[in-house]
Amino acid sequence: MTEKHHTAHHGKKKAEADKEWEPKIVGFLCNWCSYAGADLCGVSRFQYPTNIRLVRVMCSTRVSPHIVLEVFEAGADGILIGGCHLNDCHYMTGNYHTEKRVNLMKRLLREAGVDEGRLRLEWVSASEGEKFSKVVTEFTEEIQKLGPSKIHTDDMMKAKVAAADDASETFRLKALVGKEFNLLSKGNAYGDKLDPEKLSGIIDVATEEEFERALILELARIRPISVKQLGMVMEVPTDRILRHIVLLRQNSMIAMEHPEGFTPLYKTIEIGGEQ
Amino acid sequence: MAATDKIGAVMVVGGGISGLQSALDLADSGFKVYLVEKQPSIGGAMAQLDKTFPTNDCAMCIMAPKLVATGRHHNIDLITNADIVKVDGQEGNFTVTGKQRALRVDASKCTGCGSCAQKCPIETTDEYNENTKVRKAIFVKYPQAVPLIYSIDPEKCIGCGICAEECKADAVEYDQKEKDFEIKVGSIIVSPGFDEFDARLKAEYGYGVYQNVVSSIEFERILSATGPHFGTVMRPSDGDIPEKIAFIQCVGSRDEKVGNEYCSGVCCMYSIKEAIIAKEHGGNIKPKIFFMDMRAFGKEFEEYYNRAKDEYGIEFVRSRVASVFEDPKTKNLILKYVEKGEPKEEEFGLVVLAVGLRPPEDAEALSKVMNFSLNDDGFCETGAFTPVSTSRPGVFVSGAFSSPKDIPMTVAEASGAAAKAASEIASARDTLVTKKEYPAEIDVSEQEPRIGVFVCHCGINIGGVVKVPSVAEYARSLPNVVYAEENLYTCSQDTQEKIKQMVKEHNLNRVVVASCTPRTHEPLFQNTIKEAGLNAYLFEMANIRDQCSWIHMHEPAAATKKAKDLVRMAVAKSRLLESLENLTINVNQQALVVGGGASGMVAALELAKQGVKVHLVEKEKELGGTLLKLHYLPSGDDPVEYVQSLAKEVASDPNITVYTGKKVKSIDGYVGNFKTTLESGEEMEHGTVIVAVGAQEYKPDGEYLYGKNPGVMTLLEFKDKLKKGEVKGDSYAFIQCVGSREEGHPNCSRVCCTGTMTAAIKVKEKDPDAKVFVLYRDIRTYGFREKYYKEAAEKGVTFIRFEDGTKPQVEDKGGKIEVRVTDEDTGKEVVLTPDNLVLAAGTRPSDGSEELAPMLKVPITKEGFFLEAHMKLRPVDFATEGVYVAGLAHGPKFLDECIGQGLATVSRAMTVLSKTTLEAEGIVAFLDETLCDGCGICVPTCEYKALEIVPDKKDEKKKTLDINVGLCKGCGACVGACPSGALTQMGFSDEQIVAMIDAALEDAAENQEVKQ
Amino acid sequence: MSSTTPSAQSEEKAEGEDFEPKIIVFCCNWCSYAGADLAGVSRMQMPPHFRVIRVMCSARVDPEFVLRAIQKGADGVLVAGCHPADCHYIGGNYRTRRRIALLRILLQQFGYDPDRLRLEWISAGEGEKFQKTMVEFTKTIEEIGPSPMRGGD
Repeated sequence: MTEKHHTAHHGKKKAEADKEWEPKIVGFLCNWCSYAGADLCGVSRFQYPTNIRLVRVMCSTRVSPHIVLEVFEAGADGILIGGCHLNDCHYMTGNYHTEKRVNLMKRLLREAGVDEGRLRLEWVSASEGEKFSKVVTEFTEEIQKLGPSKIHTDDMMKAKVAAADDASETFRLKALVGKEFNLLSKGNAYGDKLDPEKLSGIIDVATEEEFERALILELARIRPISVKQLGMVMEVPTDRILRHIVLLRQNSMIAMEHPEGFTPLYKTIEIGGEQ
Repeated sequence: MAATDKIGAVMVVGGGISGLQSALDLADSGFKVYLVEKQPSIGGAMAQLDKTFPTNDCAMCIMAPKLVATGRHHNIDLITNADIVKVDGQEGNFTVTGKQRALRVDASKCTGCGSCAQKCPIETTDEYNENTKVRKAIFVKYPQAVPLIYSIDPEKCIGCGICAEECKADAVEYDQKEKDFEIKVGSIIVSPGFDEFDARLKAEYGYGVYQNVVSSIEFERILSATGPHFGTVMRPSDGDIPEKIAFIQCVGSRDEKVGNEYCSGVCCMYSIKEAIIAKEHGGNIKPKIFFMDMRAFGKEFEEYYNRAKDEYGIEFVRSRVASVFEDPKTKNLILKYVEKGEPKEEEFGLVVLAVGLRPPEDAEALSKVMNFSLNDDGFCETGAFTPVSTSRPGVFVSGAFSSPKDIPMTVAEASGAAAKAASEIASARDTLVTKKEYPAEIDVSEQEPRIGVFVCHCGINIGGVVKVPSVAEYARSLPNVVYAEENLYTCSQDTQEKIKQMVKEHNLNRVVVASCTPRTHEPLFQNTIKEAGLNAYLFEMANIRDQCSWIHMHEPAAATKKAKDLVRMAVAKSRLLESLENLTINVNQQALVVGGGASGMVAALELAKQGVKVHLVEKEKELGGTLLKLHYLPSGDDPVEYVQSLAKEVASDPNITVYTGKKVKSIDGYVGNFKTTLESGEEMEHGTVIVAVGAQEYKPDGEYLYGKNPGVMTLLEFKDKLKKGEVKGDSYAFIQCVGSREEGHPNCSRVCCTGTMTAAIKVKEKDPDAKVFVLYRDIRTYGFREKYYKEAAEKGVTFIRFEDGTKPQVEDKGGKIEVRVTDEDTGKEVVLTPDNLVLAAGTRPSDGSEELAPMLKVPITKEGFFLEAHMKLRPVDFATEGVYVAGLAHGPKFLDECIGQGLATVSRAMTVLSKTTLEAEGIVAFLDETLCDGCGICVPTCEYKALEIVPDKKDEKKKTLDINVGLCKGCGACVGACPSGALTQMGFSDEQIVAMIDAALEDAAENQEVKQ
Repeated sequence: MSSTTPSAQSEEKAEGEDFEPKIIVFCCNWCSYAGADLAGVSRMQMPPHFRVIRVMCSARVDPEFVLRAIQKGADGVLVAGCHPADCHYIGGNYRTRRRIALLRILLQQFGYDPDRLRLEWISAGEGEKFQKTMVEFTKTIEEIGPSPMRGGD
């Protein structure tokens, strides 16, 4: 994590420029389908707004939550991910994983208070040039409606997006989301196929927990902070915050400063973690 | 049944402190033990405790050695995660069928490294920490768990497969199935412990509704250094340190409404303990304890209570709290209660509910499977004279399962149950135990050190931080190291074989393992090198995991350097290691029992049943002791009849020689080899001593007209008169705590309250119209004895409480007794004119105690009772090995408790008497006589009385030291004290430790040269 | 409040101080050594400059050992035993306390800062106390500087 999340200077400048605001949209397209689709769109001279900047990746599943959240942090107003249609993936099941990951990204965006409409996943095949232009046009309009991203003007949101980014990098979420597709389609270690809703519920809980823990670490990095203050800032019940603190202390990620009075304060340990 | 049908094995069901003690006693006296535990690891409730009263010992510190000893005992088979399904057969020959639930981890492969749990993505709440912490779906109950084997929680696991991917030992077995077992044993001991009362049932206290209302066991975890907050006291709602903490006593105890009329016996003390610890953790914390009667009845408990009040400033309020409400804003709690007739309200930051003990959840199922009876309260039924026997012959019980009790009583009973279990199958002793055979030891004394070093990766636990290959390579470069290798897991079975092979191949005569901690793994590796023909003491360990890779995870370079240093230090010590012989001591297999009361006779009879010749010495002309004077037991059983039948049995037992009207003149020697002389001249040799000299009732001369007015008498005197029908009049007053709980005799005499109830009930039974008053400070009818208190009250006995420090005034008004007492409840003075004034006089040590103690080199308390080796876990042992204590000699207690202790001493003594020789520790003190000048500075440093200054045999004028290796425990305290360097500690000699110091500072010295 | 973060440690080193204290820790087998193990099991991080020597009881720590360590260039010596009354060997640690007090006086007479020697009671359950003790003691020794035997003063 770098300091850029905590400086708000260019955020202000951005606010002044709001009047002539034009959405900044980044699109990640897979090499084999969507990128080819975009090319076809061009060859066929289908028109779409100029706001999008395209990045080619080999497979849509290459676009990790970390990349998406970093791009939001860098100032994007919307992100489009384009991949092959399900079962058409050049790499067999890549896009199934993409789907799971995008779900995680949406979960994390919700946690961070970012409208999940700012992230869109679309299947665009190599032959769907017209669809591509439609998707981009619609998405640009949608983002225009949502207005500029507040990440640079809202410090809390910035901290939250950073926390979402950190949460997405935890082993727990990576493991759960990485295994999700196989657990549902091929079965688990006991040979059972899991109930998708149950697993989704487990991931929901894990996402919320990991996000909150990451946010605690973000906030306690700035200065020592109490459970009650964290509860107020994060709008999370204090008993829940305390349970996170217990775990974070257990894992040597946060340290308690012994209190003078009756309220202990906590400070993030810079190098930490169990791994 | 023929003796040959008896099976020399015992099954112990329940692996708490009780089960551990039974198992260890039995396995140490020639029986095979199967310890069945329903959870994946042993340890029970005690493992959850932070500290223990009244010494504030750290529970895990004192328990861990027993856990480890049980786990590695080659005659104890641990069957964890298992349930009993069926018990067939009869005493001496049972067939037990059971089921072991799948751990889903191969116990033979799991090394307990914990990598799996680190990576498991499924979190759930941690039962061991009362849900204040988080654990994973693959887990071990607590870090010190025995066996240290992870298991998968089938409820939580989603089968993601990550643990199996992480496990380098390949131990995860998702398809592991439940296993059935069928085992033949001669006796069974059940010790499943207790469950806590569910405080939700007391809705008025808001448990489960208000966040800051916690149960006492939750608070125990909150206090613990291994708990959620590393020992800082925090409240659950917001992590604030509560300034004011309220403890509410008797939650689920002494409460008809919830169906538990009994007293749980331990809550008063544990609340005091928790309050003291909370206070110690944060000086600003103000604990307040709300109670009905303070039941500090045990040994030195009252002093603990006094310290809590006087030194720690803990407040005590005598009131039953009516209800608790939460201030929703602050989450503080408002207690409503009545104190001295006045309704009050007070706000607290945290409320701790002292939850009572109830029978374990599976009590009924267990009783059905095993076919024994439960009592009305759902605990295991026992008899007044058979405290460790269930209703099914051959099935015994110990611990809180038969009635709520504290740890020392539990441990004593556990030994007692082991004694009964052993007597049943004494003829089959040593038939099923195995003795490990090792190859002949190679003599290495003349050899140059040839050291082999094995460096462990511990999966990734070490290897992930420390560069293990470079440590192994470095080891190879050290002088005398002829072989070094790295292992994925040095402790795995295949590596053990490899070590043996390498010892042979390279003629290694020293082995160093650099891995985890010697505390858990040294015995394993010592065993391995013994199998390779090396003396066990030629082994040394470097702890590069727990004390290196795990604590310097982010500094791999420094950690690698440290690991190299630690290996160099271990090698330096290893070079100087010598083979040590575990000295053997011959054991005289006879026993001496001093004291012929109930405890002594029970012990003598049980020893005799196990084939031991016993010398029973009683100073009175008649066997029987205090019980002869007791006349009544609360249960209605006849104590005199009981004790007389015991005496008859003793007299006719061919194994017991009785010496009545005789006193001990001297006892010399040490464990296995005592020699005793009686004043009358008889001499006897024996291997152990049981002290059961009893106690006596205090004669309150000069107090309350005692000795001046014939209507004033002690409780025992009154019972005697009652029995003989000599009591006159129809009004009675009992005064409690006469000669107890006051200056000079600060502690409670434990039995007087219940004794008073028994007498009062008897009076009321004979004359329902009799006026009976009991003047008391606290009624301490703990456990099931509470029902006698209730019965007395129901029969119309009037209880008047007087304040501590304002004793009733008693005057002789023309031969009539007049008692004036201020009723604490109303504040009004009450005047009574009883025909009989009964003084519940305290218990005093027996007259001979002070002379006997120095003969045995054992300590006594300042009140004159014998002081055991450890108040919690060695309740009937002395620090001096081979000497044990039972009954009133140890402190006031009830008959069932005396019997339990009497039996316990048998079990403890049999760990010695069942053998012809004892092995002393190899790590003992050793004297270079040429250097010793007999100054004696070392003598007082020895807590085991193993040292004595004697005349030098070579030079009569000089003095020298005599070390009794039979008594030495190998702490090295004397060695550290010796000013002339004559003493050394085998295995930790000065040279060895200095070599380690020098090795540790080798590069510091280089540094020094460079700088100068 | 001293920082318990391992980073504080590495930062200090990064600032160009190349003084790496050499600390010898004597731990009794039953409590302190177990406490040190527990710190490990709990993955509590601490500076890596100490080396533990296990003895059966803290009372085994001969004054000679402490002096030897100092003479060989140790910058600090810590003796850790069971809490009074917890001693596995009943009363061994009471003797340790007296011995260490005397040794501190002796060190001062030899011109060493007596704070180079410290006695600490650490139980088997006090992993965190072990960590704290090591962090603080290392800091103390860093403040005192290298032993005169290693060219410090």
